[in-house]
Amino acid sequence: MSEYFIEIVNGVKTFLTGMKMTLQHYNNKEELVATLQYPHEKWPIPERNIGFENSEYNLIRSRLHVDIDDCIGCLQCEKVCPVDCIKIDTIKPPKGTDVDFGITSLDTQKKMLVTRFTIDMAECMYCNLCAYPCPEECIYMVGGPNEHKHEIDYEFSQYKRDGLIYEFADPTEDQLAEVGGESYVESRQSQKQKLEDGSNLEGVVEEEKKAVVVEDSKGSVKKEEDTGLTLAIFNDVGDKPARGIAKKAFQAAKRANMNFDAMADYVNGAINDSGKSSPEMTAAINVIRNFKDESVTINTPVKVSAESSSETPEFLEMASTNFDIKILNGIEDKMSRGIAKKAFTSAKRENLDANGKIDFIKKTLNEADKMTDEIDSLISTFAVSDVPPAVVAPEKEVEVEAEAELFDIKLLNDIDNKMARGSAKKVYMAGKRGNKSSSIVLTQIREVLNKAEMMNDDIDGLLKGIG
Amino acid sequence: MTSIVKSIIASFQAFPIDPFLLAVLAILIPGVIIFLIMAVNALIAVYFERKVSAFMQDRLGPMEVGLFGFKGGKKFWGGIGQTFADAIKLLSKEDIIPQDADKFLMIMAPFIIFTGAFLTFVGLPMSDSLVISNFNIGIFYIIAMSSVGVIGIILAGWSSNNKWSLYGAMRAAAQMISYEIPIALSLILVVLVSGHLDIHGIVQWQADNRWFILHSPFASLGFVIYFISVVAETNRTPFDIPEAESELVAGWMTEYSGFRWALFFLSEYANMLIVAFVASIVFLGGWLSPFQLIDLPFIDIFPESWLVLDGTVFGIFWLFIKAVILIFCMMWFRWTFPRLRVDQLMYVCWKIFIPFALANVILVSIWELIF
Repeated sequence: MSEYFIEIVNGVKTFLTGMKMTLQHYNNKEELVATLQYPHEKWPIPERNIGFENSEYNLIRSRLHVDIDDCIGCLQCEKVCPVDCIKIDTIKPPKGTDVDFGITSLDTQKKMLVTRFTIDMAECMYCNLCAYPCPEECIYMVGGPNEHKHEIDYEFSQYKRDGLIYEFADPTEDQLAEVGGESYVESRQSQKQKLEDGSNLEGVVEEEKKAVVVEDSKGSVKKEEDTGLTLAIFNDVGDKPARGIAKKAFQAAKRANMNFDAMADYVNGAINDSGKSSPEMTAAINVIRNFKDESVTINTPVKVSAESSSETPEFLEMASTNFDIKILNGIEDKMSRGIAKKAFTSAKRENLDANGKIDFIKKTLNEADKMTDEIDSLISTFAVSDVPPAVVAPEKEVEVEAEAELFDIKLLNDIDNKMARGSAKKVYMAGKRGNKSSSIVLTQIREVLNKAEMMNDDIDGLLKGIG
Repeated sequence: MTSIVKSIIASFQAFPIDPFLLAVLAILIPGVIIFLIMAVNALIAVYFERKVSAFMQDRLGPMEVGLFGFKGGKKFWGGIGQTFADAIKLLSKEDIIPQDADKFLMIMAPFIIFTGAFLTFVGLPMSDSLVISNFNIGIFYIIAMSSVGVIGIILAGWSSNNKWSLYGAMRAAAQMISYEIPIALSLILVVLVSGHLDIHGIVQWQADNRWFILHSPFASLGFVIYFISVVAETNRTPFDIPEAESELVAGWMTEYSGFRWALFFLSEYANMLIVAFVASIVFLGGWLSPFQLIDLPFIDIFPESWLVLDGTVFGIFWLFIKAVILIFCMMWFRWTFPRLRVDQLMYVCWKIFIPFALANVILVSIWELIF
C-alpha cells in the first residue's frame, strides 16, 4: 500500500519537474530559440583557404566577377578555363583608325573593344584558375580577399539555367560603330528580334523572360525605355488572324521607334491591307493614338555620335541616370581624357559617389595642369544634375543599425576550440536577435564558456580584445 | 434568469411575426453564434498551440504568413495568417471515402462528433445572463453532451474499414468512458456543496461564499483530478493513445480528409474550450472577478462594482482569461509529457483518480457537515 502512495508522490514530482523545464524554455525563448530565419537572417560565410595566408589563396565558392573596364581582351582566362565556361568576343579597330579605349587601372593601354564577356556560372567549377593568368587582375571570385572590390555573393540561384549566364561586357552601339563593328550590331539586333518574335508566337505560353544578367549599371537604363503600351491592348479583338497581324505591325512600329500617331497609322494600314478591320480593332488603334504620356519623350532616342558628344542633350539624359566613364569621351584632348578616365576608375574603385568622382577627376586634372574651362563645364554638368543617392530600404537600415551595435561574428573565428567557438557563436546570434550590445553579449559568452569549463586564457584575451 | 433565446423571442414579440418563423430565428441565430465561437476558437487556438509548442522546443513556429500584409510581431509572434491559410487549404482538399468503407456511417461520424461539441455550447454561459438557453440541470446536461462524441468516434473507426481506425476508436471509447467517471465525480462535489445543478446557481454560490477551488483542500484536489481527466477526455497528449501517430498512423481519423477531417479538428479544439470553460465556471468562479478574493482595506471607499471590474461585459473577459490560462496549461502538458501506454492510462484512471475522487466526495460531505 505504501508503494502505491510513493508512486503517486513520485508521479507528481516528476510531473512538476517536467512542467518546470518546459516553462523555462518557454520563458527564455529570447535566448534559447535556435531557428535562423534563413532569407532574413544569415550566418556569416565560413572562410576557407588552402594557403597559409588568407590573402594568397581564395577558394570561397562564390561567384566570378569581371571588372570589364579593366579587361584588355587578352583571352587568357578563356583559354585556361577547364570547363570552357568563359566566352569572350573582341573587335579590333581597323588599321589606321585612331580609337582610344582608355587605360586600365594597371596603366595598360586597351587596344580593342570587348563586345562579349559571358561566364556561365552553371558550368563553372569554381577552380579559380582563370583568376591567376589575368594580367589586369580584373577577373576574380567575389568576397573574401576581394571583398573590397566586390561584395560576396553566394546566393545566385535562378529559376532557369540561362539566368546563370552572366554578361559583363555591354558595349553601346556608338562604341561598336566607332570600331567598325556594324555587323556585330546587326547580328545582335537580329538575335534580339528573334527572341521577341519567338515570345510573341500564338499558342506559346508567354513566360516572363529572365534577361541575361547585365552587371553594368547602364544596362538597366535601356530596359526602362518602354512605351508603356503593350500587346495586351489587342487582346479584346475576337478575330485571331487579325489580332496576329495587328500585333506584328505594332511590334514593327515599336521597333522603328515611331511615335504613337504613326504607330496607329501603321497598324491601321496593315489591318486595312488584309481587310480584317472590325470595331474592336478600331478601338484598339484608337487606344494607341490617344496614348500619350511623359514616356514619349524618353522613348525618342537621341542619336548623337561620339564625336559630337559635347552637346548637352545626351549628357543631360545620361546624367539623370548615372555618371559614366563614357561621358569623359567628350574631352577632346587625348592626354587629359586618359588622365580623367584613370581618375574615374580609381574613384570608382574607392566607391565614391558621382560628386566625389567629379571632385577627384578635377583634382587630378588640376595637378596635371590639364584643366580647361571646357572640361570643367563638361564635368560640372553632372555635379549639378546629379541624382540623389538611392534611399536605402528601411528594413535594411534596421539590420545595419543592429549590426552596428554588435561586433562582427568573424572575430569569434579565432577561438581555437571548436566546441567553445560553436557555443560562443550561438550566444552571439541570440544576442543579435535580442538587439543586445557588445558588452552584454561578451559577458554572456563568458558565462556560458565558464559554465561549460571551456574558458582559457586565449579566449579570455580574445574576448577582452573585442570588448 | 434571462438567456439569449428568451431575449430573441421577447424582442421579436413586438412585431407581428409568424410563430414558426420566430422559432426558426430563435434556433438559427444562436446556432450561428456558436459556430462562430467554435471557428474563431479553432483559428486562434491552433496558432497559439503552434507557437507555444515552438517556444517550448526552442523553435519559432509559423513566421511568414501574414493577413493583408501584416505578419504580426517581428521577433516571435509572426505568421498570424498561418491558420487561415491552413483552413483554406483544408477546405479545398479532396474528400476521399475509401471504396470498402461504410459510406453512410463514415459521412455521419464527423457530424455526430461535431454535434456533440456544438450542443454543449447551448448550456454553457459566456457570462452573467449570457447563455443560449438556461437549464436548471446545466452541469448534468454538459456532462451528458460531452459524451456524445464517443459514438461518433466509434462510428468513424468502424466505418473506415481500417485496422488502425478501429483500434483507435476502441482505445478512444475505453479511454473516454473511463475518464467520464472521475470527471463526473469531481463535478458532483460542487453540486453537493452549493446544492445547485444549475450553472448560474453554482456561480452565485461562489459569489456569495468563495471560489470553489478554495472551499476545502478536497475541492482543490477535485480540480486537479477534473483537469487531468478532461485532458484525457479530449484525447490530447499525453493521453492521445487513440491517435498515437507512431502506433496507429492517425487513429480513428486515418481515413478522413478535407472537410470531414476539418470538422474533427474543429470539434477537438471546441472541446478544449468547453472543458476549460467548465473548469473555470465550476472551480474558478466563472465570470466573477478575481479581485473579489482580495479583501483590501480601501475597498469600501470606491464603488465596489467599479473597482472589482464586475458585470456582464467584464464577465466575458474574466471567463475567457481563465479559460485561456487553462488552455495554455493543456498545451503545456502536451509539449512536456510523453504519451502514456494503454495500461498506464487505465491504471491512472481506475486505480488513482476514481478512488481519490470517490474519497473526495465523502470527505467534502463530511467537511460540509462540520464547518
